Amino acid sequence: MRTFSVTKSIIQFVLFLFALAILIPLLNILAMSLSDPARVNELSGLGVLPKGFSFINYEIIFSNPLIIKSLLNSLFITIIGTLLNLFLTAMTAYVLARTEFVGKKFVLFVLIGIMVFEPSMITEYLLMKDLGLLNSYASVILYKAINVYYLFILMRFFQEIPDSIVEAARIDGAGHFRIFTSIILPLSKPALATMALFYGVYHWNEYFRATIYITDPNKWPLQVVLRQFVVSQDNMTMLQGIEGMRPELLASLDFGSLQSTTIVIAVIPMLLLYPLILKYFTKGTMDGGEKE
Amino acid sequence: MKTLKRMRKDLILYVMLLPGFIYFTIFHIIPIVNMKLAFEDYKIIGENTWAGMKHFNTLFSSPAFLDVLQNTIIISSMKIIFIFPIPIILSLLINELRFGPYRKFIQSISYLPHFLSWVVIAGIWITLLNPADGAINVIRNFFNLPSIDFMTSKEHIRWVLVFSEMWRSAGWDTILYIAAILKISPSLYEAAKMDGASTFQQMRYITLPAMVSTVITVFILNLGFFMNAGFDQVFNLMNDSVLSVIDILDTYVYRIGLMNGQYAYATAASLFKGVIGLILILGTHFISKKITGKGVW
Repeated sequence: MRTFSVTKSIIQFVLFLFALAILIPLLNILAMSLSDPARVNELSGLGVLPKGFSFINYEIIFSNPLIIKSLLNSLFITIIGTLLNLFLTAMTAYVLARTEFVGKKFVLFVLIGIMVFEPSMITEYLLMKDLGLLNSYASVILYKAINVYYLFILMRFFQEIPDSIVEAARIDGAGHFRIFTSIILPLSKPALATMALFYGVYHWNEYFRATIYITDPNKWPLQVVLRQFVVSQDNMTMLQGIEGMRPELLASLDFGSLQSTTIVIAVIPMLLLYPLILKYFTKGTMDGGEKE
Repeated sequence: MKTLKRMRKDLILYVMLLPGFIYFTIFHIIPIVNMKLAFEDYKIIGENTWAGMKHFNTLFSSPAFLDVLQNTIIISSMKIIFIFPIPIILSLLINELRFGPYRKFIQSISYLPHFLSWVVIAGIWITLLNPADGAINVIRNFFNLPSIDFMTSKEHIRWVLVFSEMWRSAGWDTILYIAAILKISPSLYEAAKMDGASTFQQMRYITLPAMVSTVITVFILNLGFFMNAGFDQVFNLMNDSVLSVIDILDTYVYRIGLMNGQYAYATAASLFKGVIGLILILGTHFISKKITGKGVW
């Protein structure tokens, strides 16, 4: 029997307001990017539907060579970075989670030390400089090749794989590397998917290391360019692609709309992955956060 | 000898550990060891020279550094006081929703901002707080209140930090609490309903007590990161008009170190922050172990 409850209705309403508080600012940005630049000033801060409809902002942003390059840079850094992360994290996690060897205690102790004490951004910068990695993609890829928190989460996953499965292979004479590649990895697909999303989101959103390590704008990832537009309000960089565009379109340029458009472009890959993220990420975080 | 033999037999394990070992040594341990720069004078050419406590003396007698320290403490405290309870309340509310599309919708939306970078969130919030037509000022004007330029107002900018952090993380931070709630046996609620307990009484006497150990763990973890105060957030929401009230330790290190090139002095500030952070994390870890049996790791 379903009974109507005032308390429950109030709760549902409060949560609805909470969802609106998150959604309206996002939809407002989207509406701004899709509005006709001539009419965008009619759009209220609470508006979620575009005023008029035009792709002109997207045309302008996508004709900016810096944006195209930065999108490719971001994709490259995210894909290569994530693959490297997965390989290194999984292999290290296997050895630490499933084997015994002389010195293991010491290694775990050092890892906890690394978790609780971060190096200074100054000495990290000077190190990159000494290694000659400034202005290279390698600097932002290598900087977080293994995240210790994620390493520990993956170790917990690996520990849950029953010994009986591995034992059979060991009797057949399989060595550790074989066991790792042909038993542990295939059995850990959901865990590895979670890790890939953890790391992928990290790389896609990373901007600070790229800001300090990479000074050549041609190597900037999208987040750094976006920061240049939105936080530093660098309008000249934003308009790099407009030469040769129809003058009547340029007459109605609106910087705010162009900024919103870049924000949307930076968020779209995240939204495309969001269903997967909801499936794996939330579960992964719960497992990682729950300690016995 | 026996140990050596075992190590030789396990050679493959060390080979598999080697890439990780090289990575951690180069990118974590070396920069930590190099923080001895805090006690040296940086030389572009040749060896650095020993400077002893010089940079720390300058640091603690510098009014700028003391302001930054004060800002860090104020901002972190504001965040803990005003943000920490929100996800707890939210999880209690979400728990009252029946499993189904509406609950899924609310949860999916609430996690979303966590996956946006602070650059994106700064862009969204600058638009949201725009004095001319930003949503917040539209609402203020509707109630006949004057518009405020929040982003350049020293009075308001710390609250901008609090609310934007809340917007970003309140939903995501419910995950651990909801996981704790889902472990509660449904029979407890059944029995309470039989006895005529109201929704609120069920929250107060069943759900909340079951969350206590998670709440303590999360609180302690937050304390461990007290000195951070949210670098990425401040870095992207900062501007010259409000710098003096939201400049925190990490942004200060960035500015004097990476912008002005005072590497050794900035490293001293970093080391100070790192040591305080270490004490807080170790302290909270052992307190947490004592109270809840769970540590930070």
